[in-house]
Amino acid sequence: MTPLQFETQYQAEWDELQSLLTKLSTRANQKNSPVPGERLASLYRRACEQLALARARAYPSHIVERLNQITSDAHQVIYQQREFGLGRLRRMIAVDFPRAVRAHAAYVAVAAAVFLGPLVTLGLLVYFNPELILSMVDAETVAQFEEMYSDSAEAMGRARAAGSDWAMFGYYIRHNIGIGFQCFAGGLFAGVGSLFYLAFNGALIGAVAGYLTERGLSSNFYSFVVTHGAFELTAVVLSGAAGLRIGHALIAPGRRTRTQALALAARESIVIVYGVVGLLLIAAAVEAFWSSARWMPLPLKYCVAAGCWIMVLGYLWRQGRES
Amino acid sequence: MSQDALDTVVHAETPEGIAIELKAAGVSSRVFAYLLDFLIRMGVLYVAALITAVMGGLGTALMLILWFALEWFYPVAFELSRWGATPGKRTLGIKVVMDNGLPITPAASITRNLLRTADLLPALYGFGLLSMLLRRDFKRLGDVAANTLVVYQPKAAPKVTMEDVAPLAPVRPLPQAEQVAVIALAARASRLTASRLDELAGLAAWVSGDDGRSGPAVTRRVLGVAQWLLGKRA
Repeated sequence: MTPLQFETQYQAEWDELQSLLTKLSTRANQKNSPVPGERLASLYRRACEQLALARARAYPSHIVERLNQITSDAHQVIYQQREFGLGRLRRMIAVDFPRAVRAHAAYVAVAAAVFLGPLVTLGLLVYFNPELILSMVDAETVAQFEEMYSDSAEAMGRARAAGSDWAMFGYYIRHNIGIGFQCFAGGLFAGVGSLFYLAFNGALIGAVAGYLTERGLSSNFYSFVVTHGAFELTAVVLSGAAGLRIGHALIAPGRRTRTQALALAARESIVIVYGVVGLLLIAAAVEAFWSSARWMPLPLKYCVAAGCWIMVLGYLWRQGRES
Repeated sequence: MSQDALDTVVHAETPEGIAIELKAAGVSSRVFAYLLDFLIRMGVLYVAALITAVMGGLGTALMLILWFALEWFYPVAFELSRWGATPGKRTLGIKVVMDNGLPITPAASITRNLLRTADLLPALYGFGLLSMLLRRDFKRLGDVAANTLVVYQPKAAPKVTMEDVAPLAPVRPLPQAEQVAVIALAARASRLTASRLDELAGLAAWVSGDDGRSGPAVTRRVLGVAQWLLGKRA
C-alpha cells in the first residue's frame, strides 16, 4: 500500500477522531450531543494500529506526526484518572491516612526520637542553666517570650502585633504548614534535611519550654501549648517521618533503581503529608481561638487537651483497621 | 534511531504498545514560565494587600492565608485544570504531564510542588537546575519523585502542500531509507529557497537518472520521483 492510498483510506477516521476530541475539550457542546465513548475507543485503537503501521513502513513524516498527535491526544482523554471528590476525601481521612502512618511506624518512631530527644535534652539543660537559652535565640526574642507568657500579658501566645485571633490564625497556617512541608521536602537530601528540621524545631521548643519553666511561667505556658500541641507536634513528627521515608529510599533503594524507589516512596508517603496539612489546619484554629482564651479555667483547658491527645493518638492507632 | 541521540524526545508507551513522543521542555522556557508566574503571584498579592489592609485582623488573616495558598497551591490548582499548566507555562507553550504521557494526577501535582522546597535550595533553584541539566528529560528533583514531566504542547502538524509534479518512476527500486529521504525532501520543498532546493535535489539526482546534474529541471524530476513513491501514478 502506498502512502497516498493509506492516507486516503483512513483520513476520514482520523478526522472523525479529531472532531470527537475537540468536542470533548469544548465543554459547551457536551450536554446537547454526548460523545459516543465506544466509537471514540474503537477509533483510538485503530489509530494506534495505523500509527504502528505507518512507522514500520516509514511513511512520510506528516502522516506519522498527524497520527502521533491524535493518538496521544486520545490517549490523554481515555486514560485520564479522576481522583477528586468528597468520597475520596472521606476515604483519605477514614482509612488511607491512618493506615499510611501505621505502615511507616518505624519512620515515625525515628522521627519522634529525633524530635523529642533534643526537645527533652535542651529543655533540661536550659532549665538548669537558663543562660544557655541565649545560644539558641537572641536576648530580644527571649524577652519577648517572657513578656508573652507573663501574668500581665492580655493574650498569650506568639508575637501578637496585629492583636487579633484571626490574624494569628492566618499566621499559624502560613508558618506552621510551611515548617511541615520543609520537614517533608528535606527528605530528598538523603533524609538529612528532615533530621535537621526535626532536631532543630525540637531543640527550639525544648529550650523555650525549659526557660519559661525556670522563670516560673510554666502554668501560663503549658496551658497555652498543650492543646494544639496534640495536633501540631504530631504533624511535625509525621511530616518528618514522611521525609525520612524518602531519604531512606534514596540511601537503600533495595532491588529497585534509586529513581524508582524515590517515586514509590513519594507516592506512598505523600498520603501522610495530606494528613499533616489537615492536622496543622486544626492546630492553627485551636491555637488561634482556643489556646489563647485566657479566661478559660485551667482544669477545663487541661481536660480538653488530654481529650485531644487521646483522640489524635487513638485515631492514628486504631482508625481504618480491618475489623 | 540515531537522531534520538541528539534530541530530547521522551518515548512514553501506551497500553496499546504505541510509543508516543513527548518533547521535554528545557531550562530556559521553564525559567521564563516561572518568572511570569512569579510576577502574576506578586500582582495578586499586591491587589489583595490593598483590599485587606482596610479590614483589620480578619484582613490580615485572609492575606496570610492567600499568601500561603499562592505559595504552595497556585501551581497545583492550575496544573490540575484542563490546561495542565500555570498561566506562565501556557504562555511559553509548555505543560506538565505524567511521564507516561497522561494528564497529571492530583497526588503527583502536590508531590512535585511540595518538593519544590528541596529544588530551590541552596539558592535560586540550585539543586533543581543541577538536576535538570544532568538529565536528558530535564526533570527537577520534584519531577523525579512525582514521575512527572514538563513537555512542549504539541503543535498542530503543519499542513504539507506538495507541488503538483508529474510522477516519475525511479531508475531502480529504492530501499526504504532512500524512499524516506526523497519524500522528506519533497515535503520540505515549499519551505526551502529555490537554489537550496536545487542543491539538495542535485545530491539525489541519480534516482531520476540525472547523475551529476542539477537545476530546476532536475529538481522537478526528483520531486516527480517523490510523487511516484507516494503512490501517485500518471
